[in-house]
Amino acid sequence: MNRLVRLLVSLLAVAAMTAWASAQTLVIAQGTDAITLDPHDVTDSPTATVTSHIYETLFELQPDGTIVPHLAESYEVSSDSTTWTFNIREGVTFHDGTPLTAEIVAGSMERFIDPDNAFRFRFLLDRITEVSVVGPMQVQVQLATPFAPLLAHLTHNTTAIVLPAAVEELGEAFGENPIGTGPFAFESWDRGSRVNLVTNENYWGDVPAIDGVSFLAVPENTTRMALVESGEAHVAVRVPPQDIQRLDALDTVTVENVSSLRTIYIYFNHTLEPFTDPRVRQAFNYAVNKQDIADFVLGGAVRPSDAAIAPGIFGYTDVGGYPYDPERARELLAEAGYPDGFSTTLYSPSGRYLQDIQITEAVQSQLAEVGIDATIETLEWGAYLELTRQPAGENEVPVAMLGWGTVTGDADYGLYALFHTSQHVPDGSNRSFYSNALVDDLLDEARVNTNPAEREALYEDALRIINEDAPWLFLHSETQLVAVNDAVSGLVIHPTERVLAWNVTVE
Amino acid sequence: MFEYTVRRILVALPAILGVIVVVFLMVRLAPGDPALLLAGEFADQETIERVRERFGLDKSLPEQFAAFVGNLAQGDLGRSTRTNRLVTDDLRTFFPNTLELALAGITVAFLIGIPAGVISAIRRNSWVDAVVTFIALLGVSMPVFWFGLLAILFFSVDLGWFPVAGRGTFSHLVLPAITLGVSSTAIITRMTRSSMLEVLDQDFVRTARAKGVLNRSLIIKHALRNALVPVITVAGLEFGRLLAGAVLTETVFTWPGIGRLLVDSILARDYPVVQGAVMLIAVSFILVNLVVDLVYGVIDPRIRYD
Repeated sequence: MNRLVRLLVSLLAVAAMTAWASAQTLVIAQGTDAITLDPHDVTDSPTATVTSHIYETLFELQPDGTIVPHLAESYEVSSDSTTWTFNIREGVTFHDGTPLTAEIVAGSMERFIDPDNAFRFRFLLDRITEVSVVGPMQVQVQLATPFAPLLAHLTHNTTAIVLPAAVEELGEAFGENPIGTGPFAFESWDRGSRVNLVTNENYWGDVPAIDGVSFLAVPENTTRMALVESGEAHVAVRVPPQDIQRLDALDTVTVENVSSLRTIYIYFNHTLEPFTDPRVRQAFNYAVNKQDIADFVLGGAVRPSDAAIAPGIFGYTDVGGYPYDPERARELLAEAGYPDGFSTTLYSPSGRYLQDIQITEAVQSQLAEVGIDATIETLEWGAYLELTRQPAGENEVPVAMLGWGTVTGDADYGLYALFHTSQHVPDGSNRSFYSNALVDDLLDEARVNTNPAEREALYEDALRIINEDAPWLFLHSETQLVAVNDAVSGLVIHPTERVLAWNVTVE
Repeated sequence: MFEYTVRRILVALPAILGVIVVVFLMVRLAPGDPALLLAGEFADQETIERVRERFGLDKSLPEQFAAFVGNLAQGDLGRSTRTNRLVTDDLRTFFPNTLELALAGITVAFLIGIPAGVISAIRRNSWVDAVVTFIALLGVSMPVFWFGLLAILFFSVDLGWFPVAGRGTFSHLVLPAITLGVSSTAIITRMTRSSMLEVLDQDFVRTARAKGVLNRSLIIKHALRNALVPVITVAGLEFGRLLAGAVLTETVFTWPGIGRLLVDSILARDYPVVQGAVMLIAVSFILVNLVVDLVYGVIDPRIRYD
């Protein structure tokens, strides 16, 4: 009898421990489900968040902006900066037990840059002309011309190392059966609702203290917040600004506010009158009170811009931005020949960025104060992208809001595509048709110069000229508002808009 | 009856074909370039062209339509341009979830709507009738979205009785089913009430009552059975509506159903999935109506199918 009791007690204890253990799965509520678990094909943050737990990159961008070796242990670069040799970390294995080798790394890179695969972030590495295996744990890449941001690009989640044999074997099903080297391994995926990962006990680095991570897809804001309030989720991303105070007032939840590398701006079409005149563009900048918008439309949750890129990006410098000065705006408009202002159309997405249409409405009313009568035009995102991408001459969008996330953490990605003359739409992403030969030279030089200090100086000069030219109405850099249960510690809310649970503990 | 069923299915074929053509054209004629959406706001021209080619979007409309119909004949709906998954797999995953929710919703509507309608008919013009009518009016007018959110905040967050969202256990189903069923409940209540009133006024009911048939048996066996035909018609239409229109409930409760799949796909201009989902919804709507017509014969043996 006694033995039976003891057996029962120990069984109960085991059951209790299992229950405790299962409570150690971190639950993260995101706005959408993962789209594919093929890391090379990822284009959105919620999916990148999931794949970043399964797959790893050669280098890691730390939240403070420094780049550290990850699956690469070290690297060497030739004196002409066109040959890069990466020493691959020893002792790393994939979730199926395959050890990581230089062969695998090379195969993964070749897959990523193969034009036939049409991966959308291929351009990150498209300057690589050749990838070769030079030793069992050594990979060499060849560039046509020096390319300074290479290491930054190798931190991007889409450049993660996949197992070419698995790609081959699984074919189209590869995106549903991920095998990576990361701290968590794939367990299951209920389409449209959740992805479950389990801790990789053989992880080469510190094995996570939790048993796994689940990512829930919860599109409705109120529902997502209710999940953290009720304790069903530990983390909920994209807290609506109006909910910050209410959630913070709860005993169990804190709303974290972490800056993002995404800048929100309203650009001017330089092919259309009156935006060819820099005084008009500057007048817009003086007319809008960005601090008020940040405080009242966004609940203080963003940072008014003082440059075209956000802090935390390599190459960022505070170049001043424009203070709120409606008097100065009126003077500039008068000088430009519009003493009574003028009418224009202000295009805005709705629901794409945090409070986007509300921000546009605030801008509209502030512009009215200086005599600019702006009519708001809003389109569904697909139509919006198409309309703003028309070539010069056909492009009739005068002023429009957009956002840009410099996800590599390097100014090249944030400035080249948006301000270089060669990048005018439809060839690139320069929708404003901004063109300044001086800026072009600086950006070209900063792209090939591999001396970090010199690059920073080049970007500072470029940012100053861009600020002066005012091709945009500079608004703010976004912040990520994430509701986190107080029992969770060690969660990293990365500036690249990913939530990382690698080092999380749950009390 | 068999002949009738076959005839009905044959008659439905042109309708389904029409749906296919309209959907095929509508998604393509709407503004918004799918290659551009797939490539994203950061893409250069080269990437966009490569994406266009990868998903066969560089072909002309007739070519695309021919390929689509050809594949359809082999039961192949193509691959999602957004997730690269087979559309048939997507439909197999998401449609049963919606079916489950719609069945639960219509069950709620029957369980509440019919008794409520019957009671309010036999107690015509009493306070019970007034309350039922008022609640039914409220049910029809209340936005599903708002009702669902309030249900979550009250029953899940405050009381902790049900999970906030997701699909899995029976308790996950309760709030979404009630939310989805609310407006159908209201409609079925009102329909049952008016249909019952009509039947209760008829001669055979008076005769039965005169002959001393017990009240309960009179109402259930004689009156309700006769009152059900219009109720079933409405319920059938309602069920079809729930299958196609559960998107708001699915969104509020994070229910992985076909409505959400469809909306996400429309926003991403994911042509193959939009086509597949709309076709499936159209077919199921037609089937539901067919079943309703067949059920008439069971309820009312006087109805013949020839």
